[in-house]
Amino acid sequence: MKTEELLINMGPVHPSTHGVLRFKLTMDGEIIKKCEIVMGYLHRGTEKLGEMKTYLQFVPYTDRLDYISAFPNNYAYVKAVEELAGIEVPLRAEYIRVLTLELNRIVNHLVMIGSLLLDLGGSTMIMWGFRERENALQLFEMLCGARMTFNYIRPGGVREDLPEGFMPKLNEFIKDMEHRIDDYEELISGNEIFMMRMKNIGVLSAEDAISHGMTGPSLRGHGVNYDIRKIEPYSVYPDLDFRACVRNECDSFARYMVRIDEMRESLHILRQVVDAMPEGKPASQAKYGIAPLTGAPTAVSTYFPRIFTPPPGEVYSRIEAPKGELGFYVVSDGTIKPYRIKIRSPSFCNLTAIPKMVEGLMIPDLIAAFGTIDVVLGDVDR
Amino acid sequence: MNPAEEIKQLFPGSVVSTGIQTNKPMATIKKEDLLIIAEKVKEMGFDNLSLITGIDYRDRFEIIYNFFSYAKKQNLVLKVVLDHDKPEIDSLESHWKVADWLERETYDLVGIKFRGHPNLKRILLPDGWVGHPLRKDYDMSVDQFVTLGEDGEDIVSTDGSNLLRR
Repeated sequence: MKTEELLINMGPVHPSTHGVLRFKLTMDGEIIKKCEIVMGYLHRGTEKLGEMKTYLQFVPYTDRLDYISAFPNNYAYVKAVEELAGIEVPLRAEYIRVLTLELNRIVNHLVMIGSLLLDLGGSTMIMWGFRERENALQLFEMLCGARMTFNYIRPGGVREDLPEGFMPKLNEFIKDMEHRIDDYEELISGNEIFMMRMKNIGVLSAEDAISHGMTGPSLRGHGVNYDIRKIEPYSVYPDLDFRACVRNECDSFARYMVRIDEMRESLHILRQVVDAMPEGKPASQAKYGIAPLTGAPTAVSTYFPRIFTPPPGEVYSRIEAPKGELGFYVVSDGTIKPYRIKIRSPSFCNLTAIPKMVEGLMIPDLIAAFGTIDVVLGDVDR
Repeated sequence: MNPAEEIKQLFPGSVVSTGIQTNKPMATIKKEDLLIIAEKVKEMGFDNLSLITGIDYRDRFEIIYNFFSYAKKQNLVLKVVLDHDKPEIDSLESHWKVADWLERETYDLVGIKFRGHPNLKRILLPDGWVGHPLRKDYDMSVDQFVTLGEDGEDIVSTDGSNLLRR
């Protein structure tokens, strides 16, 4: 039977688009013929703002990109600046950074799985996920006073040392999480309805996924054995034992399972970090081409070069953020402000795969596939 | 062998210079030969186009492609210099699908035109926006206001006086 095609707008304000994203769907009956994505509703011009701030002043702006996992944003930018300016970082600071990065990875995946299940109509997981996330956010609050926008990792180290009583609380969290993840698996992974919604839905071949620029856990669900922490090791990851979590099924279920596996791996890394945490300073005290400061140094500025001038040059530095490859392309012209900052956000590039992935599916399947891509709109629109 | 040097051997006439950009082999190439070289780069196994950056240097534009090969675990940086008066370059959309959006973003914010792109329109800013914000001569003193039209389309104007009434 031939029916007329219908244009449906999904979003920009829709709970399943995880922010303000708009799908323009051309429907043939219940089947999606064509999916066009409209975005930019949250565009704040972060890259332009970066050209007007000093290197240190830009750190808080990176928090607002992917606000679910802000530590990796801080770190990706700071890593690029450190490479550009040749700033050395003490070992303790690197360990504290890895600790925050992996904690944040767990938080990100909890939110992702919770909201995925909520989109599919199951409300238990988001309650459970946010319950555990709350414990992690309290740890973040102990560290830097903020729960989501941290401004904690800075060129040369981290802002403050670990507070008293942090390690016991962290150990408690790790111990608690171990059996919580088993609970999630028991609740979700074997659930028949969930499997019917996820298995063989949103299938994309590995070649297509790579061509569409997918990275991170979403790509590892397509059988590509890759992890930037492994292939281009940074920080103290070479000293830590972990594996890249890969699934071969190329469907929504595989992308979900990679997240569960990654939470276990992150816990494994956290345990090693707790054991190996070295003594020392949390930030470098060396001076790197610092312009003279005016006024008396405060407790913070004794640690950090507040104003510094990297030599002219450009650098592209990338890390394995919870959502995929997060990179900063920073160009210095030898002044105190960056000449150009380009943000390569994982959400933006992963999203390019959606139109191809959902062709021929129904709208509920679009929501399931979109949920497993794990997109935050602050990261897409920048 | 370093992939940038390999390209220089294959296309001696098209490569202006080769070098290293913080551990990554880099080749600066002529803009006319981008498509031929891109085809070769794809053949060499660089299946991931990681990033496209456009930079305004006031007298010229530079556009930078970061490639990565999952099989060889290698990086490659291609750099192309464009005239400031007429920034135009061939599109890589047919080789890497992600280039579709990355090029649209570069067009939107930096104002570089990509020849052969199937759908070259603004992606982050609304269609009627004036200027390309990441250019150094972008006039930031002019406010631009975006409202919704009858059919949900974006209307951009420089006059914000009647916004509250709507």
